[in-house]
Amino acid sequence: MSWLRDIPLKRKLTLVILLTCSSALLCACVVLGGYQMIDFRKNMKRDTVVLADVLAKNVRAALTFEDENAAHETLLALQSEPNVSGACLYDIDGNPFAEYSRSGETIQFPEKPEPDNTRFRDGHLRIFRPVNLNTKRVGTLYIQAELQGLHNRLILFIGIAILVLLASCLVAILVASRLRRPIVEPILGLTETAREIADRKDYSIRVPSQGRNEIGLLTDAFNQLLNSIEERNSALRGANAALLQEVTERKGAENRVIAQLARLEMLHRITRAIGERQDLQSIFQVVIRTLEEHLPIDFCCVCVYEPAANQLIVTSVGIRSEATAMELAMTEQVRVAIDQNGLSRCVRGNLVYEPDIVDSQFPFPQRLARGGLRALVAAPLLVESQVFGVLIAARRQPESFSSGECEFLRQLSEHVALAAHQSQLHMALQQAYDDLRQTQQAIMQQERLRALGQMASGIAHDINNAISPVALYTESLLETEPNLSQRAREYLTTIQSAIEDVSHTVARMREFYRQRETQLTLTPVQLNQMLNQVVDLSRARWSDMPQQRGININIKTELAENLPVVMGVESEIREALVNLIFNSVDAMPQGGTLTLRTRVSEPVPAGTPLVIVEVEDTGVGMDEDTRRRCLEPFFTTKGERGTGLGLAMVYGIIRRHGAEIEIDSVIGKGTTMRISFPAADLAKSNAAAVNTTFTVPTRLRVLVVDDDPLLIKSLRDILETDGHLVVTANGGQAGIEAFSAALERKEPFAVVLTDLGMPYVDGRQVAAAIKAASAWTPVILLTGWGQRLVAEGDVPPNVDRVLNKPPKLRDLREALAQVMPTLNS
Amino acid sequence: MIENISYPGPSRSPMRRYMTWLCAVAVLFIGALRVQAEAADTEHQVKAAFLFNFAQFIDWPPSAFTNTNAPICIGILGADPFGESLDETVRDETIHGRTLVVRRSRKIEDLKDCQMIFVCRSEKKNLDEIFAAVKGKPVLTVGETEGFAERGGGINFYRDGNKVRFEINPAVTRQNGLRVSSELLSLGRIVKSETKGKSE
Repeated sequence: MSWLRDIPLKRKLTLVILLTCSSALLCACVVLGGYQMIDFRKNMKRDTVVLADVLAKNVRAALTFEDENAAHETLLALQSEPNVSGACLYDIDGNPFAEYSRSGETIQFPEKPEPDNTRFRDGHLRIFRPVNLNTKRVGTLYIQAELQGLHNRLILFIGIAILVLLASCLVAILVASRLRRPIVEPILGLTETAREIADRKDYSIRVPSQGRNEIGLLTDAFNQLLNSIEERNSALRGANAALLQEVTERKGAENRVIAQLARLEMLHRITRAIGERQDLQSIFQVVIRTLEEHLPIDFCCVCVYEPAANQLIVTSVGIRSEATAMELAMTEQVRVAIDQNGLSRCVRGNLVYEPDIVDSQFPFPQRLARGGLRALVAAPLLVESQVFGVLIAARRQPESFSSGECEFLRQLSEHVALAAHQSQLHMALQQAYDDLRQTQQAIMQQERLRALGQMASGIAHDINNAISPVALYTESLLETEPNLSQRAREYLTTIQSAIEDVSHTVARMREFYRQRETQLTLTPVQLNQMLNQVVDLSRARWSDMPQQRGININIKTELAENLPVVMGVESEIREALVNLIFNSVDAMPQGGTLTLRTRVSEPVPAGTPLVIVEVEDTGVGMDEDTRRRCLEPFFTTKGERGTGLGLAMVYGIIRRHGAEIEIDSVIGKGTTMRISFPAADLAKSNAAAVNTTFTVPTRLRVLVVDDDPLLIKSLRDILETDGHLVVTANGGQAGIEAFSAALERKEPFAVVLTDLGMPYVDGRQVAAAIKAASAWTPVILLTGWGQRLVAEGDVPPNVDRVLNKPPKLRDLREALAQVMPTLNS
Repeated sequence: MIENISYPGPSRSPMRRYMTWLCAVAVLFIGALRVQAEAADTEHQVKAAFLFNFAQFIDWPPSAFTNTNAPICIGILGADPFGESLDETVRDETIHGRTLVVRRSRKIEDLKDCQMIFVCRSEKKNLDEIFAAVKGKPVLTVGETEGFAERGGGINFYRDGNKVRFEINPAVTRQNGLRVSSELLSLGRIVKSETKGKSE
């Protein structure tokens, strides 16, 4: 019955009535029709049987008397029966006797009679009836009747039934349309009301009462339902409004929490990112980029605060803010003055939030506002309550920073400040560590050099001792023997010069490890002359060695005429120049030109003119970094081949002479080293020269203490040649005893010459003993370490003068004169 | 039925010499006779059946019988042409509870209490006497002579081709107090009595 469900009530009712009527009528018609059929067939059968019996009676005589004509004529009477289509008479033996067929029909009669029966078969009624005469059977009569009548009747009946059905349906519709009204209309009214309520959501509508039947009860119940719905609806609406408000609030709170969480996440990310970075610039960049992308903001930069100038220096600008920064002239390294508005508050450590800067009176916000920015946050970067920078964030939308975002920026700025501070500390620590390592390396190098130096010092001592007699005798011979042949004199001069070279070499060897400034004995140095010497000295290096490898280095000298002398230590200046030449040669592995140049600088007002020496090569040159660092000790570009000390030593020498060095270098073109010496004050040097005249005392009692017999002998010979009385003592203990013995004999020594380094009792102890015995007796200390002792300020107590080995005759005489002033006067 | 019919044949001569020859001739002769006799026999068999049938379609008044169980008597007057066939036909038959009996006689007097009298051709000359004797009595007279019914008989057989037909004079039967069924009347040819002068 599902098809009935969606049909409107009115039509449903009509349909129900119609269907009920129709089905009742149909049942009646079917029953009636069936009954009619059965009845018709029964009647037909009975009528035909009666007909057959009558006919049988009529033909029995004809059959008895075998009169076919009579029988046939009797059968012809069937013409009046329209249903009967044919008949056949059989005699007692079953042979057909007479037949009848309705005109126009050909009937196949059974050849033999069947047993008596009456039945419908093949659409016919077939009847076999006996023909009796006086209770004796004389034959059989067969009659065949058609059912045409039955069919006609059936069609007629069906037609009538349809007509009746239609008529009754019509009547039923009319009746139903009248009768359904009291049922349908109240329900329709109810439906209409319900729909209206559903459409308008107006629960105050009521259905008019419908009386005391079921529909009335339904409407009353509906109205009551509406009453309760209305009550609940209003209650629900109130609750709903409250709920909605609560939901809205919670939604807002949730959104804030989510935003807060997102910012926390961002803070965490930034913190982690900046934790991985050490330099300020990249920390700022990370912060700015993250803020631009994820907060997001339209403009972001970090400025470093300079309290001294009371201004901010823009340090980092975000990539997205670049264009705006250009527009605002706020690119990196731009300086921003701190005005009285937000920035001054900010640098005092407060977070500044300007919701809308378009009407701001102050230059900095106005500047940002010109770039279309409206909302501004400036967060201070505080380290130990000192502001060192400001984080500036801005948006085009006015009042667009929530309190959460401001708080976030404040926290972020703290983190950034902390990270920046740590980065600074880290960098300082790194610097300190690097310095420490460098120092450590220098010290290690020095230790190595010191060990080397000590060894060299021992060697030098021995050499000095060894050559001392040679030097003394040679000098003495040249001085005291005027009759020497020219050849001998020449040889002796050569020996003297060689000895001097050896002595200088040994002295330089000693100098090699020395770090402290030596006590310079400045002499006037003619630089042109020295340059020529240096060229000769270094010839092997710039000429012979390169030529072996097939490389040609040209050396040029451009020397100024009338060059003023400079005050300096000749050997040191020479060493420095040699070093520079070596460096230049090393810089020209493919050959080139080396130019040595001297000139006088333009006279400087209120100062002495400068004498300038230039060493210029056409070598590989240096980059800026190398140029800056090349003077540092242990900095080398030559790998294992270099010690990194050459230029450092040069620099040390130059500084000791009060000179300056400049380096010009172009990579691939060459390098020019320029040294500027102050020109010497001639008057001062003349004054110094005056001191060189002295009177040599004669006939002094001299005690010479040494452990080297050769030296003792040579000293005695020299001193005796000068007319002194010389007593020698081999070793310190012997010297002290000799001095004491002489003192007791009342023949004290006027002066004592003692070696410094001796076994068991060294020069210092000897001097102390002598001073203890006779405080006025001067002591001259001879030493292979002489220069070092002086340089280190290590003139031992009780010693009046220190002389270096090998002693020069002139120095010896001078020393004797110096310690014996009383005798001079 | 043919086998059952017995005819009185020529007497058999004792002469043996001519016996075989005679026999052959006799057979041929007898054969021819038999064919004729058979035709005659078939006709009379039908007529015997008709006689029985007439009894079935005619009602006699109760006065015709001595009592209610008295048999219907069929008298054959003159030379009997039926032989055994009539006896065969009526044997064991009953009509309305009455059995049938056949009586043969040459004299009408012997047959006066029969309900039906078949008048043979042999009595052609005595018809008027016969009719006079039964006139007014409940007796049906049946003949096989032309003009039998017109002259005062009840039913007369005649031949129509090879079929046996009959004619009825209802005036006679009515006069004799017999009721003839309409079925019978519809089958037979209805004839009327001749005037008195012509009857012979």
